[in-house]
Amino acid sequence: MKLYCLSGHPTLPCNVLKFKSTTIMLDCGLDTTSVLNFLPLPLVHSPRLSKLPGWVSKDGTINLEKELKECAGRVFVDSQPEFCLPERELLDLSTIDVILISNYHCMMALPYITEHTGFTGTVYATEPTLQIGRLLMEELVNFMERVPKAQSATCWKNKEIQRLLPGSLKDAVDVWTWKRCYSLQEVNSALSKVQLVGYSQKVELFGAVQVSPLSSGYSLGSSNWIIQSHHEKVSYVSGSSLLTTHPQPMDQSSLKNSDVLILTGLTQIPTANPDGMLGEFCSNLAMTIRAGGNVLVPCYSSGVIYDLLECLYQFIESANLGTTPFYFISPVANSSLEFSQIFAEWLCHNKQTKVYLPEPPFPHAELIQTNKLKHYPSIHGDFSSEFRQPCVVFTGHPSLRFGDVVHFMELWGKSSLNTIIFTEPDFSYLDALAPYQPLSMKCVYCPIDTRLNFHQVSKLLKEVQPLHVVCPEQYTQPPVSQSHRSDLMLELQPPPMPYRRCSVLNLPFRRRYERVYILPELANSLVPSEVKPGISVATVSAVLHSKDNKHTLQSVPKPPPAPSSKKRKRMIEEPPVVLAPKSLLSGAVPLEGFLATLQKHGITEVKVEETPDGHILHLQAQDTLIQLEEDGTHILCDNNEPLRTTLRDLVLRFLQKL
Amino acid sequence: MDRECVSALPRVCEVLAASGGSLPDDTSLEKLLDWFTELSEAGVSLLEACPCLLGFVSAVVSNDAASEPSVLSFTLKLTGLLAASEDGFKVLQDSVLDRVFDFRHWQAAGLWEDPCIRIGWIQGLRTMLQHSQALDFFVQADFTEPLLQLQTDTSLFVASAASQTLAHVLLLCQSVPSPEGRHRETIPVETDGKYSAVVAGFCDYLKKSLVPKEASQLHGSQQVLKLLAKLLTRAGPPLRDRLLLTVSDPLEELVTTNYSQLTLPLMDVILAAHSSCGGGERVARLLSVMLSARNPADLVHAAAAFLRSSHPDPDNRARSAGVLLLPLDVITGLALLGADSSADQHRSSVMEQLRRKTSCVSMICISLTNVPQVTSTAPDCLPCSPAEIVSAVLSVLRLCSGDSPSSSPGCAEVLRNVTGSGRVQKCALDALSALSSSSGVKVLLVEVFTLLIQYLNSPASDPSVIQKSYQVLVKWVDVCADLSDVTEQLREDLVQVVRKRVCDVRWEVRDSTVEFLGHLAAAPASLASDKEKARNALECLPGGRCATVPLLQEALQDPEGYVRASSVSALALTLAPSWQQGAAPPQQEAEIVTRLLEILSQDTQGFSRRAVIRFFVAWISSCSSPSSCSLLTQSIPSILSRGSADLDWEVKVHTLELAELLLDRASESRRHPYAVTPDRTSTHARAVESDPVSMLNSLVDQGVFSALLSGLVDCDRPVGLKACQLLIRLRDTVCPLLLGDQDVSDALVSGSRASCELPGCGWAREVRRILGTATAPRNVHGADGLGPEDRGEEEEEEPAVRVGVCDALRRLRLDERLAVLAQSSDHVHNSPLSLLQDILTVSRTKTHLDSQLGQEVIVDCY
Repeated sequence: MKLYCLSGHPTLPCNVLKFKSTTIMLDCGLDTTSVLNFLPLPLVHSPRLSKLPGWVSKDGTINLEKELKECAGRVFVDSQPEFCLPERELLDLSTIDVILISNYHCMMALPYITEHTGFTGTVYATEPTLQIGRLLMEELVNFMERVPKAQSATCWKNKEIQRLLPGSLKDAVDVWTWKRCYSLQEVNSALSKVQLVGYSQKVELFGAVQVSPLSSGYSLGSSNWIIQSHHEKVSYVSGSSLLTTHPQPMDQSSLKNSDVLILTGLTQIPTANPDGMLGEFCSNLAMTIRAGGNVLVPCYSSGVIYDLLECLYQFIESANLGTTPFYFISPVANSSLEFSQIFAEWLCHNKQTKVYLPEPPFPHAELIQTNKLKHYPSIHGDFSSEFRQPCVVFTGHPSLRFGDVVHFMELWGKSSLNTIIFTEPDFSYLDALAPYQPLSMKCVYCPIDTRLNFHQVSKLLKEVQPLHVVCPEQYTQPPVSQSHRSDLMLELQPPPMPYRRCSVLNLPFRRRYERVYILPELANSLVPSEVKPGISVATVSAVLHSKDNKHTLQSVPKPPPAPSSKKRKRMIEEPPVVLAPKSLLSGAVPLEGFLATLQKHGITEVKVEETPDGHILHLQAQDTLIQLEEDGTHILCDNNEPLRTTLRDLVLRFLQKL
Repeated sequence: MDRECVSALPRVCEVLAASGGSLPDDTSLEKLLDWFTELSEAGVSLLEACPCLLGFVSAVVSNDAASEPSVLSFTLKLTGLLAASEDGFKVLQDSVLDRVFDFRHWQAAGLWEDPCIRIGWIQGLRTMLQHSQALDFFVQADFTEPLLQLQTDTSLFVASAASQTLAHVLLLCQSVPSPEGRHRETIPVETDGKYSAVVAGFCDYLKKSLVPKEASQLHGSQQVLKLLAKLLTRAGPPLRDRLLLTVSDPLEELVTTNYSQLTLPLMDVILAAHSSCGGGERVARLLSVMLSARNPADLVHAAAAFLRSSHPDPDNRARSAGVLLLPLDVITGLALLGADSSADQHRSSVMEQLRRKTSCVSMICISLTNVPQVTSTAPDCLPCSPAEIVSAVLSVLRLCSGDSPSSSPGCAEVLRNVTGSGRVQKCALDALSALSSSSGVKVLLVEVFTLLIQYLNSPASDPSVIQKSYQVLVKWVDVCADLSDVTEQLREDLVQVVRKRVCDVRWEVRDSTVEFLGHLAAAPASLASDKEKARNALECLPGGRCATVPLLQEALQDPEGYVRASSVSALALTLAPSWQQGAAPPQQEAEIVTRLLEILSQDTQGFSRRAVIRFFVAWISSCSSPSSCSLLTQSIPSILSRGSADLDWEVKVHTLELAELLLDRASESRRHPYAVTPDRTSTHARAVESDPVSMLNSLVDQGVFSALLSGLVDCDRPVGLKACQLLIRLRDTVCPLLLGDQDVSDALVSGSRASCELPGCGWAREVRRILGTATAPRNVHGADGLGPEDRGEEEEEEPAVRVGVCDALRRLRLDERLAVLAQSSDHVHNSPLSLLQDILTVSRTKTHLDSQLGQEVIVDCY
């Protein structure tokens, strides 16, 4: 059993598990942090960005003025942003049988895997994962295609040039594999390969293994996966949460008794408690609005935003923000808000019960109804005529490199009254803000990551007790910035197996058993004999038939009717006549009892010698040796067949026959 | 004693002796006993005043089989009370005393099993043991033995009462009041054979039971240690020495056994011994063992107990300080202890304890909680300066927030135990608060500020931690005379964090933030230069008052009542300086007053309305002259009318306090017509105020008189009482003057006699009713000679009438009312007579019900 690790990002994993002749890809997360090296894509022409100076090396030998721009001491690539894909050289992607998706954030690389690679397998995901994942992909495509860039910068990727570049560009890895965003067509094609599954539904893969998604409590439709054969169980734990937010709670008990547990997707900000951050978010928001400023919240169009809106719903009244408009701007804003309301079965119990009242499960419906929350596909159109300040704007993309957020950064960045509040933990906020410097706007970092923290995960692992844990190497040591926090790492016995990008791990367990079926008629013919109370054994002679990873014992075909002399050829192919099998012996010969029996039969002079495996009995008068060992008994007696037979029969008295 | 009570008592005694089971409730007997105790303490001889009691006691005791255990217990206690006086004792000794306290009789009768009999016996004895005869009786009857047995009684109440009684007996043995006089005479324990048996018995008991043989006896040992500690602190030399001699060996054994549960009581005993006899050598040795040779967890307890006892013993104080500082030293890695500290030997075992979560948190907390005691030790006994201790506490706080690594080696596990621990944070903040007044700590002011602001800013901080951080901040602001030591940046940071926290999601945080602003406004502080006049700490922050008032104004709209109340109080503190300066009210203040009046009339929460009234009280008291507070003067009538119509009695009482203040103001200006007031232009006003009639008229105009009258007839007693007292004061100060000047005033100001309008509804109707019953209505008019009288039906709304203020004051029968109001509202219900009557009534009902045999008795309790 092997694990191929195609991504080193702990929360955007992409691993391939080879297990019992199946090749299973676990998630295909897309590392988008590479876009931080690019200049933002403004929706409206930005004189500031267009006037940024080009970069020329200090000695003037390298001139990449057209590709690289300098802003506040940092260098950015002026080109369509590119993403760092999962590793594609480690194994042949066309051999992948299935892809299991655990949540909509972890499927963004799907088109890169399923398209143009020869992939012919199936993708399994829950319905909300598919639908919201589709929204996020469409949004990404929309953000990119809305602001087309004719130029594609490639010169800077030249190894000789790259090592001379300043800052993060120099350290960027595998830049040649970075790819531009996929097209809508590729998204559709990739998503057409998705087959929907429900929680706890068991899906057979080629009869070899069974996979089943479990609720992971992190987002709508998010799941962990159980991959099991009859005798082995691998659990794949991706982004999971034990907090009570909107999704169905995490199913922990089904993870018990795993041979291997692959652990990914822990919280990225282990020191920040989501509740505390939510509080910070609200107070900073209220403080800014009271002072007459605007609040910008760069966020994904699904996920934490539902919780933020719910929290604000309660907070608005108490903070006297009743008249402040809240705007949600995204090409998929409407669908996201509406989808959240229709996936009732995937929601937590409280929200599910609301549906029966009937009420919308999320209170943002009421915010929309009362006109407190308004959503628009983009800043163009209706929004520009209805826009009122001071206001709160939720919009993407959290990297601040594309999407409507770029416009608001240009618009509001110059005033210290305004505040930008970062809630998504995926990007370093300082890096995200770099191309907007100098910035007067206030910045608040309130990352809300509801995924498991180290305390919760060690409790979980204590509960489910997997034999082995595999995890990204980042989880096996404290974070670099807080090397003294030994509580911010996994400490397990045996220690977890760490992986990094391009690792190939041999998972530390051997398959020892395989399930074999017996046909009823064959089973009927067996004669079991009880060797211990409750345990019976029988001998069986049969033909083993293996097909589609299923093994069946069938009766030996009866010898054909008397061979006709004409068909000689066939005779050769016939199986040899099967002799009735000899009965098998079992049990042990007790020394005391055996000696007593020998004595009864007149053999008295016995010298017993102890050996590492048992005993040697020397019958001195008869000059005969009897070796009694754990797995065999030998009678060594020269030319005295009657004695040998007698002795054999005496030994057999103590043994059971089958 | 009340005549009616005397006549009812014999019947009650009969009832109790006959059918004690039918009592109104189970507290009746206790109330009865309390009444008897009160009487006897007041010097009444119970047997003389109520001769029936003797009969009652003998009746109950002679018929004990038929009596209820509760009545028997009562009888035992009562007998003790009767015998507490020497005369009573003599009377009882001749009759029932032996029988009553014969515990063997109670045991034989099977009644001793009931804890209430045992406790009655113990308490009876305890009450009786006031004189030598009683003590002789105790000794002769050999009650020491049963009392010792009762020390380990299954009932905790019995055991505790027995322990107290034993202590009382032993203390009495050493100083019995002499029969002749009332002075106490100390009898040397050793020489007086009479009582030596008691002491000897007790000493034997101590020897046997002090050291627990098994874990189940730990509780018993604890009890004995407590008793011993009590005796050692109160006993005189002979008894104390005898006790110490007896317990030295067992104590030494206990000290070495390491029973953690016994550490504190043991320490109490040793400290009591140490302080009472000046520290014998043996005791000193025990103490030093307690402070050095036990396991670290017990050591910190013992050291804390020692420091709390404030013994001046320098060696042990130094040792205890070392023990308490060691955990802080270990965890922070700051060398708090000198190189040759005796506590150092425990370093490794302390580290061991700190690695375990529970013992770590509790040990650090004990250390931190006792930091004030440590620093109160003489500096030469301390291994380090208070500033170093402050550094250590700051360091602990940093470790708790997880932001900094410990500089101590091998502390990774320990760090994990304290990171994020709210308990440690709170203890450390308390310690920091206490340390603010230590000498030489001001050098750390910036560090303290930085850390506290970081705590206030942290999203991980619990509301209670934030509240404590604010309190500590105020403490440190209080002690630092010079806020300029704090950098401009820090002050700016503080303002920023406060701005954020007033918008917090949690109301507790908003509340403590608003409170903090108030405290800051009340804290005196000054900037560096002496030339600059002293200002409050708030003014030293960037933006000062102008920056915080809008925050507080916003908080007046808070959805949480507590926050509104706190913001009202904070506003009062913030605005007070401008009132004192007599500045003209800016627009902002007018807005605030409007909002406050809104809160007063509309807010659903009592706290905020109370705060509003207090706000106005504060304003008026700091207002130098009416003309400088014209906005306030205008608002007074509406404040008073809204305040006195409130549903909350505390609001009404506060409103009356406001009225009182106005009365004071009015009478002051009347009494000192030539007093120098800051406002020299208002001579005319003073002239008018110096006239009692116009003063009364102004009080009526302000609504003070109406507020007092409505308070007088209020259904809440404290309100009525306060109003009545104020009205009496007004009557006594003003009316005699007016009467004295009758002729003059008649002649001069007959047309402007002070009068007040009483509307025809609500409280005024009630006042009119009182006035009406007091005098014929005609007289009201006759006296005042005012407009036509209009009497309608009482139920209908009547037109308003005017009454003369003085006249009304005289006719309201205020003194009678005061007498009624001064009694607690349950005085009738709780009177002894009522109790006796209740007992009789219940017994009658029971007899009546019993006579209706065969009928089902259905009692509906509700």
